[in-house]
Amino acid sequence: MRTTIKGLLAAVVISATTLGVARAEFPERTVELVHPWGPGNAMSVSQIIAKAMGEELGENMPVISVPGAAGTKGQIMAMERPADGYTVFDGYVAPLLLQPILGNADWDFRDFKPLHAAVSNAFAIGGRADETRWSSFEGMMEYGKENPGALRYSSGTRNNLPHMVIAKVLQSYGVVAQNVPYTQDGNAVKDLKSGILDFSFVNVGDYKADPAAFEILLVMSELPGAKASYDDAPAITDLELDLNLSGLGPMGWTWWIVHPDTPEDVTATLRDAMETAMKRPDVQEAIERVGFVPLEWDHTQYEEILSSVQSQLEAMGNALIWEEEQLHSLDR
Amino acid sequence: MTKRQMEWVALAFFAALVMLVFQQIATSMVEQGIASGGAYDNAASYPRAIAIFLGGLIGIQAILLFMKSRSLDAPVRTEGRGRAIALLLVFGGYLMGLNWLGYHLSTAPMALTVMLICGARPGLRLVLVALGMAFGLAFIFEKILSVVLPGGTFGLNIPW
Amino acid sequence: MFATLASGFEMFLTPLAVGLTFMGILIGMLVGALPGLGPLMGIVLLLPFAIGMPPLAGMGFLIAIFVGGSCGGSVSAILLRIPGTPLAAATLLDGYPMAKKGRAADAIGIALAASALGGIAGGVVLIMASPTLARFASSFGPPEYTMLAITGLFTISLISEGTLVKGLMACAFGLLLSTVGTDEFSTGFRFTFDNPNLMNGFHIVAVVVGLFAVSEMAFQVMGSDLLSSPTIQKVQPGLGSFVRVLRHWPNLLRSSGIGVFFGSLPGAGGDISSFSAYGVAKAFSGSHENYGTGEEGGVVATEAANNATVGGALVPTLALGIPGDASSAMLLGAMLILGFVPGPLMFVQEPGFVGGIFLVYMLSNVFLLVAGIIAAPLFIRVLSIPKAYLIPAILILCCIGTFALQASVFDLLVMFAFGLVGMLFRLTGYPLSPVVLGLILGPILESNLRRSLLISREGYWIFLDRPVASALVVLNVLILTGLLVSSLRRMKKARGGKRALNP
Repeated sequence: MRTTIKGLLAAVVISATTLGVARAEFPERTVELVHPWGPGNAMSVSQIIAKAMGEELGENMPVISVPGAAGTKGQIMAMERPADGYTVFDGYVAPLLLQPILGNADWDFRDFKPLHAAVSNAFAIGGRADETRWSSFEGMMEYGKENPGALRYSSGTRNNLPHMVIAKVLQSYGVVAQNVPYTQDGNAVKDLKSGILDFSFVNVGDYKADPAAFEILLVMSELPGAKASYDDAPAITDLELDLNLSGLGPMGWTWWIVHPDTPEDVTATLRDAMETAMKRPDVQEAIERVGFVPLEWDHTQYEEILSSVQSQLEAMGNALIWEEEQLHSLDR
Repeated sequence: MTKRQMEWVALAFFAALVMLVFQQIATSMVEQGIASGGAYDNAASYPRAIAIFLGGLIGIQAILLFMKSRSLDAPVRTEGRGRAIALLLVFGGYLMGLNWLGYHLSTAPMALTVMLICGARPGLRLVLVALGMAFGLAFIFEKILSVVLPGGTFGLNIPW
Repeated sequence: MFATLASGFEMFLTPLAVGLTFMGILIGMLVGALPGLGPLMGIVLLLPFAIGMPPLAGMGFLIAIFVGGSCGGSVSAILLRIPGTPLAAATLLDGYPMAKKGRAADAIGIALAASALGGIAGGVVLIMASPTLARFASSFGPPEYTMLAITGLFTISLISEGTLVKGLMACAFGLLLSTVGTDEFSTGFRFTFDNPNLMNGFHIVAVVVGLFAVSEMAFQVMGSDLLSSPTIQKVQPGLGSFVRVLRHWPNLLRSSGIGVFFGSLPGAGGDISSFSAYGVAKAFSGSHENYGTGEEGGVVATEAANNATVGGALVPTLALGIPGDASSAMLLGAMLILGFVPGPLMFVQEPGFVGGIFLVYMLSNVFLLVAGIIAAPLFIRVLSIPKAYLIPAILILCCIGTFALQASVFDLLVMFAFGLVGMLFRLTGYPLSPVVLGLILGPILESNLRRSLLISREGYWIFLDRPVASALVVLNVLILTGLLVSSLRRMKKARGGKRALNP
């Protein structure tokens, strides 16, 4: 009897120590990725990367969707979790950079530890293929100038990145148009097609689903790859006007981050896993099929690249204020 | 408590809701500058319209309560009420403590207490049932569906 | 069309794809029946697994989860009076009374058969008429959706168990709840009290689980039969229920039609269609006063409708690339990952894949009946466990399911608070379902109303300028008049009846 108890005790001690050893080896359980948007293309792309990164880590990596407040709800929630590396945040430009600039969040992107750049997705300003009032972006701007406040457009949700970029463009041309918010991007595109909206932001996925329905007026990126995914439609570099937008500035993108207090070795493990995952050809192909572009920057380039985007966005912030003031003065 | 009194409690609940809507419009929404203007900027007009609609219904319901027959003066059912209150207290306390104690520490005791409230005979069997329930369900969700249950301040998670 | 289906056969008929479709049905039924989960959760959780499969095997798995999940909720609604998903909230109205009368086997059999048949009817529409139907619905804009939401809200008065006033109050409560969070137009915060957890409002599942499940457990614990192991007649739904459902064929066809229609509208889902189908079935029925007391027709209507909705939801998802709801949005995302871009072009370029999706969907519904009948006794065994064991198990399930949505302990507190509200509603005879309907339709109503006003250049006239919208305005006015007249008449009758009794 005694030997059994002794044996049992020994077994417990041994299993406890092995457990202790196992603890040192990160990760020993599921690592979660907090994604700041609802289900859709962006979440699917994050799932592709998370799945591959999970395979590199040897653990599952589920994606948890926590939408709300332009993405800040997800970021707040992720950063309130313990800084143990078991929570990674899908750092989209809106919560990470844009909302602090608009005064809706109190952090700076330098507060967080970057893992690796994930993806970018360019968008375009699109109209209907059967439009008769104009035939080019500049033509539409002329129409808009002659008829202040007459144009109706959508950027998806209000004060998001496409809204900021479109407002900046409209401001540059002195055109006042009414933005109509939509929670589901697909519905804005649908209302564009059926003639309710005059123009709208169109992402690659929407365009590829039905290219014949759109007249892509302006691709909001200087990258040749983005222009190519809209079948060589005019891009911002083709305009006579210089909009001062470059690099990731006018685009949506995400850079995965963790809590600043995450231990160095844990962060290093996560960085390695993500970098390996991002380099895998199957991952890159899967991302490109959804119309997103995989990014190759690692954590050392985080500060440099995001600083440039930040200064561009700050300049664009004024455009939103300008648009609001113009719409108010039209109401009167 | 009679059924009529219970009905008044419900009406008071709805009335408090209507007042809360108007209070929030007058304070928080005015401060944010979203309580006036057109459809683009005015976030207050829609909830206000519904609150007014609800207020009207409260009025109608109040009149109906005054007119309704005496059948409402019967007392509400009291049998088993103690058990329901105890259940809600235990369950509420469990949820409040979840962030602090974590799922794995607090769930089996909660399940055990609920079973005792239901009148189950205490014993080893019951403890085993509670443990089986808590960890069996945790296993299904954590292992098969990759959910990470709250670990609490001690960060207790089972690497299945 | 037949060429599309034929080329689909080649791609789909592999043991892996068929096997995964069957698995998907079982998993779907499980996540549907477990309170707090649902088809969307099932799809989200298993998407990473599915995209590692060959395209049609992966899609078959996810679509089967959608189909199984849309039906699984009925099992817990019938047996436990807890809708496993909001989709099954209307099934509870007659399914639970049927079970109480000792007809649980019939109720579940009918739910399975009606789901399968409704789903197949939805599939026929998906395959045959999808281009026309999708073209019709895709021309709808904000004014049409505003009016449709109002039509949906009026159906509340048809379905609510209590009085008209109480039903409307519960609905207004739901509408108010849906305004909590960030206002997407002004980007301001409403009723958030500076709490970041409220920035996106209450999670509907936390509210529904609280209102229905938690309050139900508190009510159950008041009973006196907590330790007895209820002797349930051996419940084995058989193929007889299939025949039983076929006897309700006008109801079945009508409800499937309603389901397909709502499914094909972006934003409207199975919950709205099942409530609408229930209301319509009740109105059409010769014995409509029996509805709510265990009428087979009620279960047929709701289950046929919510599974036909899946077929309808796939119409805009496949044909236009516009998902009808969150679940089909995830399916669309999965298709993109697998290398297929939904839209008109996909029908031309990838007929095999489209045909395969049609087949996968049809097969899922056949499997639903088979797997349902095999697995039903398993679900029913759950009921024979004494309530003393069942109550804590269900409470834990509610907790894990609600927590799994967005890993938030706050959602659990919301669930608990709504459990208390549910108690108050139950004690005073306020119906719970209109709260859910208000919560779902609220954002659709408000955002489309305000969107219409922004688009309009002459205010409210936009609703009369557009033909479909103005037709819906007329419809809504007619429904409202009918409601007022009938409820006034009912009141007069009640008065008259009382006078005759107490002279």
